[in-house]
Amino acid sequence: MKAISVQNLKKTFRVKTKEKGLKGTFKSMLKPTYRSVEAVKGISFDVDEGEVLAFIGPNGAGKSTTIKMMTGILYPDGGSIKVLGIDPTKERKKLAYEIGTVFGQKEQLWTHLTPYDNFKFFGAIYDIDDKEVEKRIEDLKNRFELGEFINTPVRNLSLGQRIRCEIVASLIHRPKILFLDEPTIGLDPVVKDNIRKLIKQMNKEYHTTIFLTSHDISDIEKLCKRVIIINNGELVLDDTMENLKYHYLNKKIIDIKMRDDGKFSGDDNVKVLKQKGNNYKIEVDLDKTTIGEAMKSFDMDSIQDINITNVPLEDIITTIYQRSK
Amino acid sequence: MFREIKKEFKIISLSTYYAIQREMLNKASFLSNVFFMILNNLSMIIQWIVLFNLKSNIAGFEFKDILLMWGMAAGTYGFAHFLFEKAFSLSSLIVDGSLDNYLVQPKNVLLSAISSQIGVSALGDLIFAYIMLILTGVTLPKFLLFTLFIVTGGIINLSIAIISGSFSFWFKNSDIIEETSSHLMISFATYPGGIFKGIVRVILYTFIPVGFVTFLPVELLLNFDLKLMLILIAVSILFITLATFMFYRGLRRYSSSNLMIARI
Amino acid sequence: MKKYIHILKAELMTSLQYLPNTAFGVFTFFIFVYIMFMVWQYIYSNPQELINGYSITQMTWYLLVTEILFTSLGGRRFCKEICKDVKSGNITYNLNKPYSYVFYALFKHLGSMVLKFIVDIIIGVALGFILIQSMPEQTVLSVILVLVTCFLAELISIFLIIAIGLLSFFIEDANPFYWLYSKMILIFGTFFPIEFFPEYIRGILRYSPIYVISYGPARLFVNFDINEFINILIAQIIYIFISYGICSFLYAKGSKRLNVNGG
Repeated sequence: MKAISVQNLKKTFRVKTKEKGLKGTFKSMLKPTYRSVEAVKGISFDVDEGEVLAFIGPNGAGKSTTIKMMTGILYPDGGSIKVLGIDPTKERKKLAYEIGTVFGQKEQLWTHLTPYDNFKFFGAIYDIDDKEVEKRIEDLKNRFELGEFINTPVRNLSLGQRIRCEIVASLIHRPKILFLDEPTIGLDPVVKDNIRKLIKQMNKEYHTTIFLTSHDISDIEKLCKRVIIINNGELVLDDTMENLKYHYLNKKIIDIKMRDDGKFSGDDNVKVLKQKGNNYKIEVDLDKTTIGEAMKSFDMDSIQDINITNVPLEDIITTIYQRSK
Repeated sequence: MFREIKKEFKIISLSTYYAIQREMLNKASFLSNVFFMILNNLSMIIQWIVLFNLKSNIAGFEFKDILLMWGMAAGTYGFAHFLFEKAFSLSSLIVDGSLDNYLVQPKNVLLSAISSQIGVSALGDLIFAYIMLILTGVTLPKFLLFTLFIVTGGIINLSIAIISGSFSFWFKNSDIIEETSSHLMISFATYPGGIFKGIVRVILYTFIPVGFVTFLPVELLLNFDLKLMLILIAVSILFITLATFMFYRGLRRYSSSNLMIARI
Repeated sequence: MKKYIHILKAELMTSLQYLPNTAFGVFTFFIFVYIMFMVWQYIYSNPQELINGYSITQMTWYLLVTEILFTSLGGRRFCKEICKDVKSGNITYNLNKPYSYVFYALFKHLGSMVLKFIVDIIIGVALGFILIQSMPEQTVLSVILVLVTCFLAELISIFLIIAIGLLSFFIEDANPFYWLYSKMILIFGTFFPIEFFPEYIRGILRYSPIYVISYGPARLFVNFDINEFINILIAQIIYIFISYGICSFLYAKGSKRLNVNGG
């Protein structure tokens, strides 16, 4: 069975438009004008069980709207959603037992309570009996190293510790799918790394399907095997990470350091990105030529150092965003 | 079905308990809020002392009846606000997208949302209500009836809050409706029903149903009538059903925290 | 002084954007007066009757004036703001700014209530004519002088509310004090003229803030008397000094405490 199956999903918001200034305020009060904004324009995709999927796009692309429709928060205007075979619009509660959600910008925990009490509360929400909850908390505590602060009120925890607790809280009921919306927003690199490990571990040990959105490209690079990009409410790309990295933008970057007497005789297939003295940074389009061909533009004997790299994922994604505008 | 209700009840009591705990973190503030609310209500009684000095019977009410009426008004208000404070700011919950958290949980969205905060000073209102009951002479049947009417009236107060708050699903700036309705309810509830006549009286039993919150219950406490009591219970069930229906109707239009106003 | 006018103007502009909220304020005002009018209609057995020297016409207009003064002030929200300023530490930013916090708060609030004050007066007068179809006798001079006392009344009220809000420096939550204060104003100054209270209470009320912020202007409007005007004016001026004095005293004491605690 597919974990998630989305068909031709649509959502339109009615937006009140308002002109600037006092006159505009009066006008919109007396006779409000509305404009329809199609946030999601008929997207379709499937997610397999146990998959770790990145769902990305620029701000306002329709990511959150889509996630919210899949989790039963928003009501779609068209299309169909099946999450674990359940239709979120019809059986919201039934679905809720099976999925977990973490919204990086929204807190679900009671801040005056300790993580332990919070977990117990969540246990009650998901109708898990007390003994079982205690067992699960103990297990999660050890697995995710919450021992040192599990009895400290949440308001006294650092942001990183809080997010860890948020994630763990969403695991109490052992969800089959976890939706993570910007889980690492505002965290420092060390904590980010921690969170990523946690997510990876979850996927491995519980075989949890992970549906992740993030603006942090390294989150995606380190966690996901597959990526879906949407922009302006439309699906732009649905491919494996591998393909995205090596084929979607088939370009390499070559950094070359030459002795002063070295010569460079570039042709059209080699684009110079940067030049400083006799140091070059060039971009090679592998659709048009090969690395070997490109290297011929250099004086082989005078090369002191060479470094061939892929175009950074971040740039690839930026290019895709811009292209799909 | 029964098990479902039991589970819902467990969550509500747990979240109310935690909400109380949260407010109790600052005991001084908690106690002073409660104490001042009692004092606040007591001070309003002075108004009636002056008025009863001018006339010994106002719209069929003696001074004692006024105390009972104030008890009823404060009790119903206190009941609704103490347990379901968030129902009175439902509008902002809807507009800010704060329902998200409850929508992903396998429990009743409306109940979880409105029971996530308690009204501290409302506890003062509840205490005040029973002080008034004692002052007007309490018997066991009267105590039970009074408590029953606090619940039915409280539910009507709650329903009106939910209905007016739910307008925010359709109109983004309707927090004014919410504020106005709760203000209207409390304003009319603290005066004897007999002074209102004609169309206003009709409104007070329909759109601003304080008739069922204070007027009728006080009437019943003075002269019991089984039939009217059953009607009262039925009316409160009707109101909460209507409110729930309206909330869930609106929920389909819930737009979470997606930006709603664009400037050109 | 120029900077304060600037603050006032900015607040006035914002309040224009929130006209619907002003409309809401007017509505609650309308309901309050309507309910009280119904009560008085019940109590006055005939239109000619005088109770404690007040006819029903005078009673209704007394109520309207005091209620305009009370609602257009928006005291509850204002007090909350001051408390929040103190509690959140926002007020410490003002410590090293070249203006007085008390004046800053005063002008800010004046700016935000001007519009409401004007709307309330217009609606209030209209409402008066709808309910009772007559008005106590007025001259141009009396109207102007009443407006002067009304303005001063609001000024004193604002200072008093700032003072209550500044209590947050010393106690956990000053808001309950405002509730109590506002209830006192409502009961002893809004519902009834002070003639309705027994002699010993009346004596206290004559020297209390209620005389200058509520009873005075309303009494002048329903029964103008130039000697009474002078009495009220003098009392108001004294009260302005007292209430401002309390504010600066509390602010000075409070901000010192903040410094000791390190903010």
